[in-house]
Amino acid sequence: MHKLRHAPGDPEEALRSRLESVAGPGPVYVLGLGYADKADDGAGVLLAETLRKPFPEFSFSEHDGVEGTVLDISEREGAATVFFVDAAELGEAPGTVLVVPGDMIDDREITTHRVAVALMAAILERTGKKSAVICIQPGTIRFRAEVSGPVSSAVETLSRVLTRIMRERN
Amino acid sequence: MKELNIPALARVEGDGGITVTLDGKKVKSVTLDVHEGPRLIEQLVKGMKPEDDVNVVPRICAICTLSHKFAAIRGMEKALAITPPEKAVLTRELMMLGENIESNSLHTMLLALPDFLGYPSAVAMLNDYTDDVKRALKLKKFGNHIMEVTSGRIVHGENPVIGGFGKYPSKKALEEIKTKSHEMLPDAARVVELFASLEIPTYADVESDKVFMSVDAPKKKFHLYGDEILISNGKDFPADDYKKYTNERIVTHSFAKRSKYNDKTFMVGANARMINMGKRLDGRAADLFKEHFDKRWFRNPLFNNLAQAIEIVWAMESLPEACDRVASMDDPPIEQPSRKTGSGTGAVEAPRGVLYHHYELKDGLVDVADIITPTAQNLDDIELHMKLVAERMLAEGKKDDEVRLGLEMIARAYDPCISCATHLVTLKRL
Repeated sequence: MHKLRHAPGDPEEALRSRLESVAGPGPVYVLGLGYADKADDGAGVLLAETLRKPFPEFSFSEHDGVEGTVLDISEREGAATVFFVDAAELGEAPGTVLVVPGDMIDDREITTHRVAVALMAAILERTGKKSAVICIQPGTIRFRAEVSGPVSSAVETLSRVLTRIMRERN
Repeated sequence: MKELNIPALARVEGDGGITVTLDGKKVKSVTLDVHEGPRLIEQLVKGMKPEDDVNVVPRICAICTLSHKFAAIRGMEKALAITPPEKAVLTRELMMLGENIESNSLHTMLLALPDFLGYPSAVAMLNDYTDDVKRALKLKKFGNHIMEVTSGRIVHGENPVIGGFGKYPSKKALEEIKTKSHEMLPDAARVVELFASLEIPTYADVESDKVFMSVDAPKKKFHLYGDEILISNGKDFPADDYKKYTNERIVTHSFAKRSKYNDKTFMVGANARMINMGKRLDGRAADLFKEHFDKRWFRNPLFNNLAQAIEIVWAMESLPEACDRVASMDDPPIEQPSRKTGSGTGAVEAPRGVLYHHYELKDGLVDVADIITPTAQNLDDIELHMKLVAERMLAEGKKDDEVRLGLEMIARAYDPCISCATHLVTLKRL
């Protein structure tokens, strides 16, 4: 676990270090989850859309289909890491970022509307890929509201950090 | 008095639970409690233009989004006296095939199957059934792809419009779907093989005189829309008369309305479609239907899973011809309304059963909207079936946990979509 907001020293460097520590070798993929019409709930999608411009082959969002994207990545040769990015209620200040490694994901609930991230992580693991969830504490998830300042700032930070990592690895 | 509670029913859409109230060893009541809050969609669309309504109402559900879109469009086209072009009709058939593959593969393989194989979830199944779990996801992905190609997006696509399509799928995309459907037919057949190999618990067999309702698809084909409704007792009725046959009412323990036919519960869904239209199937789906369909399908809702599996094969086999026919036609213009005032009912088969959208338009605006979802129609039957099964299991001395699992399996077999069901409540202020 790692909380960006409460990290000692340079939080951006601490986040980069944390993401590098949970990633395996090979390229990094980003898969943004969430509902973009509900303000901060769409933080993952917002980040993925931001990263899609420089990394069109490596950044995807819920709109591309979660299961299909994961299956495609799992069938690619070699090691890789997938960072799922989603808004999550952490009980922290809005914009707080928490990194949860794939083997610690406890989201096993599958419904008709979504397939569990834990299942996606397990499928990736079977093909030699690593995964982790980057959780962002939302400030508001009100329908059609603007993304809040702290979450917008967290997305910008994550975008900078992941851009550096993906430039080096991908 | 004792209660057996399943506070949160897992592996279904939405927030619901089951409460079994026992008086000694006697089951006093079994309720499927719907906790999802009301969304009042029918009130929300009042005063809207028809073209806005058909964009808003699919937001009821993100999985049967195209069923809601299609039912709304069908209702509106009737109200506006529009006959859609043939290419639009065929493209709508194609998009419904995609939704059926997507939803049925998810429900059968990832939501229902773990119970039968003794796993708490599909995640736990992965070690022993890696290929099957991945197969389910591939089928779901393919269904999503067809939905995206036809409607414009995986969820809440906006290409289907009143009078036609904003944009039709390209010949290249259709050819790819056709090719892929041939490749994936064995995957669809494997789903049937898996469910046909399961021992379906006999505790869920209940003799009753309940009926099964489905649409009567055009041209005596097996499909997912129609203007007439078939009842398994041999009767039928025009979809416009849906109110007489569904008899909606409110109950105190649930935010969803309930339905009865002739004061008896009834079932809609894949099981009902097979009972009413299964003989119309052809190809491999027909062979599988003949091989596996029997009288237990009338008694035991757990066969709804096998019915959904056979439908995946039917949908997969239907794709090549559907793609060819759409590809062979030029893109027609969108048909325009010839009136502004009128009423119409659209009936389609969502994966979970018959979905009605009824509209009354006045001077080009929505005056009345009425939406009856399949889960709302099934809820009474789910409760009755669970009550009878709970009585039997308790009389046989089954432990509480066994009863809980048995009831959960029954509820899940109906593939309930609780979010869909909850928009139907009427709030009364005294």
